[in-house]
Amino acid sequence: MDLKDIQNLIKFVAKSGASEVKLETDDVKITIKTGGDDKGETTTYVQQIPVGAPVAQAPVVQQQPVAATPETAAPVAEDSKYITIKSPIIGTLYRKPSPDKPLFVEVGQTISEGDVLCIIEAMKLFNEIESEVSGKIVKILVDDASPVEFDQPLFLVDPS
Amino acid sequence: MHIIKLDAIDSTNTFLKQLSSCEMVEDYTVVVAKEQTMGRGQMGTIWESETAKNLMFSVFKDVSFVPVEKQFYISMVTAIGIYKALKKLALPRVKIKWPNDILSADKKICGVLIENIVTSNGLRDSVLGIGVNVNQTDFVGLPKASSLVNMVGRVFDLDEVLYHILVELKECFAWLERGQYKKIKNEYESELFKKNKPSTFLDAEGSMFAGFILGVTELGHLKVLLEDEIIKVYNLKEITLLY
Repeated sequence: MDLKDIQNLIKFVAKSGASEVKLETDDVKITIKTGGDDKGETTTYVQQIPVGAPVAQAPVVQQQPVAATPETAAPVAEDSKYITIKSPIIGTLYRKPSPDKPLFVEVGQTISEGDVLCIIEAMKLFNEIESEVSGKIVKILVDDASPVEFDQPLFLVDPS
Repeated sequence: MHIIKLDAIDSTNTFLKQLSSCEMVEDYTVVVAKEQTMGRGQMGTIWESETAKNLMFSVFKDVSFVPVEKQFYISMVTAIGIYKALKKLALPRVKIKWPNDILSADKKICGVLIENIVTSNGLRDSVLGIGVNVNQTDFVGLPKASSLVNMVGRVFDLDEVLYHILVELKECFAWLERGQYKKIKNEYESELFKKNKPSTFLDAEGSMFAGFILGVTELGHLKVLLEDEIIKVYNLKEITLLY
């Protein structure tokens, strides 16, 4: 696969309206993403897989906008004004201090810096997660008593 | 060291957390209560205790030097500290039951509930809630619980027990401050209840299986050797040790 083939592929993907295409052959792995952010820029990652005889070095292509896809970009842009609070650890998320108590926070509630948003329990260590931002809770992305992964988005906060 | 003594409180952990949110609290500030009206165990469970017979206290500790992924080390040093104190008080066969119960002669003597305050910069403070059965003699309906008096045969001064635990806790947290992770894990694993002994467990579905406890992972999961040399790692909710 040469540079021309890759360029053609990028054009094809951009026109197709797909947001991401991954292609893997014996010697080359290509990921093409379109409309990843509100600028509608197309980014292409080409990864060379080391196999036997080296093939021509495929450069990392940073393609300029090719027929941007506003359909997919729009919702991302809307969310971008919100702050995502992510989980600092793996564990079980609790939205209440104990089962018979009210929720720490609910959608629409205004929170201040230092407010406890939830508890994430890991191995009997109960971690009270404090907010670093002030704003309004727009969305809660996890259920009470559900497992969460490291870096998993938990809350969307509108700081304005 | 500040020690705040209360006659009765809902929970010493809650009290200390609230105190720390309105004023600067010094490291190793201790809140001890004669009676807890809402003592807590794990999520939703309660810690019961007869008034003034047992020790219930919470210790405040700055843990901002502990990387969040190493937080199980807070649990380990707390358990080791209590373990060492109880050994000094001449309790027989003291062991740490994963993750952080302290047993003496197979009976639960002490329970721990740790609450951390986490910000986007990682861990900030830890409130170590510790309950020790000291002078209570009857444990109706609790066949696996016992106390210092039942084990040693003498009545203890609660302040004496508290003092011993605080001294050892400070020493063990100093290991953590110096980043002596390996030493901590070795100490913890060497005193783990049922380590390398044939044991029976219940899984989350309630089926029994046999295995040998080998130790813990960095995250605090239990490492168990099963049949055919398979080593499996378990989360807290996935396994119950029967004993």
